[in-house]
Amino acid sequence: MGFLVTTLIFAVIGIIASLCTRICCNRGPSTNLFYLTLIITATVCCWMMWAIVYLAQMKPLIVPILNEGE
Amino acid sequence: MAGRRGGGGGCCPPMDLLRSEPMQLVQVIIPMESAHLTVSYLGDLGLLQFKDLNADKSPFQRTYAAQIKKCGEMARKLRFFKEQMSKAGLAPSFKSTTRDDIDVDDLETKLGELEAELVEINANGEKLQRSYSEMVEYKLVLQKVGEFFHLAQSSATAQHREIESQHAGEASIDTPLLRDQEMATDASKQMKLGFLCGLVPRERSMAFERILFRATRGNVFLKQAHVEEPVIDPASGEKVEKNVFLVFYSGERAKNKILKICEAFGANRYPFNEDLGKQAQMISEVMGRLSELKTTIDAGLAHRGNLLETIGDQYEQWSRLVRKEKAIYHTLNMLSLDVTKKCLVAEGWCPVFASKQIQDALQRAASDSNAQVGAIFQVVHTKELPPTYFRTNKFTSAFQEIVDAYGVARYQEVNPGVFTIVTFPFLFAVMFGDWGHGICLLLATLVYIFKEKKLSGQKLGDITEMTFGGRYVILMMALFSIYTGLIYNEFFSVPFELFGLSAYACRDLSCRDATTVGLIKVRETYPFGVDPAWHGTRSELPYLNSLKMKMSILLGVAQMNLGIILSFFNAKFFGNCVNIWFQFIPQLIFLNSLFGYLSLLIIVKWCTGSKADLYHIMIYMFLSPTDELGENALFPGQKMVQIVLLLLALVSVPWMLLPKPFLLKKQHEERHRGNSYMPLETTDNSFQLDTNHDAHGDHEEFEFSEVFVHQLIHTIEFVLGAVSNTASYLRLWALSLAHSELSSVFYEKVLLLAWGFNNVIILIVGIIIFIFATVGVLLVMETLSAFLHALRLHWVEFQNKFYEGDGYKFYPFSFALAGDEDDF
Repeated sequence: MGFLVTTLIFAVIGIIASLCTRICCNRGPSTNLFYLTLIITATVCCWMMWAIVYLAQMKPLIVPILNEGE
Repeated sequence: MAGRRGGGGGCCPPMDLLRSEPMQLVQVIIPMESAHLTVSYLGDLGLLQFKDLNADKSPFQRTYAAQIKKCGEMARKLRFFKEQMSKAGLAPSFKSTTRDDIDVDDLETKLGELEAELVEINANGEKLQRSYSEMVEYKLVLQKVGEFFHLAQSSATAQHREIESQHAGEASIDTPLLRDQEMATDASKQMKLGFLCGLVPRERSMAFERILFRATRGNVFLKQAHVEEPVIDPASGEKVEKNVFLVFYSGERAKNKILKICEAFGANRYPFNEDLGKQAQMISEVMGRLSELKTTIDAGLAHRGNLLETIGDQYEQWSRLVRKEKAIYHTLNMLSLDVTKKCLVAEGWCPVFASKQIQDALQRAASDSNAQVGAIFQVVHTKELPPTYFRTNKFTSAFQEIVDAYGVARYQEVNPGVFTIVTFPFLFAVMFGDWGHGICLLLATLVYIFKEKKLSGQKLGDITEMTFGGRYVILMMALFSIYTGLIYNEFFSVPFELFGLSAYACRDLSCRDATTVGLIKVRETYPFGVDPAWHGTRSELPYLNSLKMKMSILLGVAQMNLGIILSFFNAKFFGNCVNIWFQFIPQLIFLNSLFGYLSLLIIVKWCTGSKADLYHIMIYMFLSPTDELGENALFPGQKMVQIVLLLLALVSVPWMLLPKPFLLKKQHEERHRGNSYMPLETTDNSFQLDTNHDAHGDHEEFEFSEVFVHQLIHTIEFVLGAVSNTASYLRLWALSLAHSELSSVFYEKVLLLAWGFNNVIILIVGIIIFIFATVGVLLVMETLSAFLHALRLHWVEFQNKFYEGDGYKFYPFSFALAGDEDDF
């Protein structure tokens, strides 16, 4: 599961979600655009969060050092 | 200018909620006879905001002042009924008896009758109650004083007998010689002693006694007895603890004094007869009166209760009618009277989409009131700024309120509410990342959402009302917290290996190095979220600090860029090229050449695993941009890139500052010159109105220095803001760290510690403390603080990039909106 694959999954989820709202609650072009904006914003936010954490762990500069007691 | 407003800049397709509804100023001419019904229908529709055309008149000078006074009077009567009902412990029934056929005039007479009846019943009841409590007091006095006399008499006779018996025997040595005489004189004087008896409030009895003693120089004999039960004071109608007193005095002067003192102390006096036979008669008489009064009072109360109940049945309906009536007359007072006095002229704002509905309502009103002519509806062109109106639903309204709390959007400017719906809960969740806590929050808010129908009709407490109003905000916050909690891999601070194996393992089988050098990465990166291996290690905190700090900056730069891009949509929509070229572009360049570059460096550093010091790079990019980077270089040609970016940033500052004021000046001069040759507006109606509205329109003086200073302030604010706002996003790091540390402290120091004792009681106590700490500190306080910080990030860091927020809200005249308020 590399970076690109998961990014693709996020994109697919976003597309599916926007299609779902388009099909399930089609209430005129302006409302649809509004829903689309919401879904894109949410997808981008979630993806950014994941991507940041993933990238930060790709090439670790420090590694976990266990506590003495354990 | 007019085209700019109505047309919709055409930069992008229209989106719900992104811009406020297009509004229009309309003028409605209503014939006098259908005015009331028309306004009533418009109030039912609730899509027209009337302008006050009589602002210069005082409330008494207006056309319908008398009717409003009448409504006020009716409202007063209703309030009186409500007061009476609450005193009687009756609640107005909410069952809606939909008999809407009551006429206001009928209602007025009916209310008047009812009020008179109720007042009379109350007065009678009060009188009866008063005499009843007087009788009760009298009865007490009769009993207590009777006891005194009885006791006194029996002791006197006993004494007498004793003395007599002593007399009968030989006179002993210690028999006072004078006793005979004394006794004789006493007996003769006793006949002249007068007495008064009554009740005095217990807390004043001591003072009463003292004053009596002083006033008569001790020439009184006072006896008091406690009344066990508090008695109802006839004058005030309240329950008071009282003492029965009996005072003997001699002489007319002393009597007068005592009477005055009694009056001053609020002591009620009652007649009393020494004769035992008469006493008994009195008591039976009083008892008779008492039972008689009791039945009368009960009958009165029952009658009153019935009356109030009938009132209570219709109270809601009546008060709704009165409120509606009052609102209608208030609105009618805002209309100006035509010169012919045959019609009223209304002006107001309405959304463009509502024109049809309003015209329908006008037609219906005209036909229903059998008016000869219908109302005239026409759109008026004006340069006044229309009110801001967003059509929100139950989901979006709470988010819109978050934005409105900062400032109502200027008419048709980009509404940050659209993005707030997602980014607000998201930023909240970055600070509140724990999927256990997220689930708790979700469950709590789901209760509200499922009980929505039931709760929305009720009156709730302040805090409940607030959380209920924000239930969908909390729902989104909870969902995003669950997501970020999964990313942070924290469930009540405990990590789970949900998405595969940890990427780290011991270097060798013995695992000797694990506590000194640390684990080693043996697999692919943990696919989703923070690797569980980090939890509880010595390097956890440094690692999470670095991660969360960088994340805050990345998220912050992204959100600020979104804000700047939204300012582009604003400029484009209003056709303001100056803002695009001399505000949007330099701002974008400035922010991204500094902090966009920093974000890029962060990502490059992560991807390459370089050990470069980003602080060092950023600081020396300013201090000595020409120096070689050495080991801090992240990519080839970095020095050149940095110099270019620095120059761009430096250039964009004067770019933001200087051209815009000069261009505005030029534009203004051009427009002014052009305007002076423009033909006047054609239709006389709009001309008339425009003269009114234009007073503060386009003809203001162009003050160059003012504009320049404004631009200077704006530029300085942006340049400094770019630094301080980015720093401000670090609160995401701080809050999320505080949250995870607090929850791990509660987990380890309370729950695990209690578990370690192997004792059921300690374990239960530990669990209880853990639950209370989690709910009180993490779920309530942390939610509040994360909410406030997310609020600040949106209001300040995000919205100051594009949001003017100086509009005013659209308040349509609507019965549905005004109906909830209890006051008239």
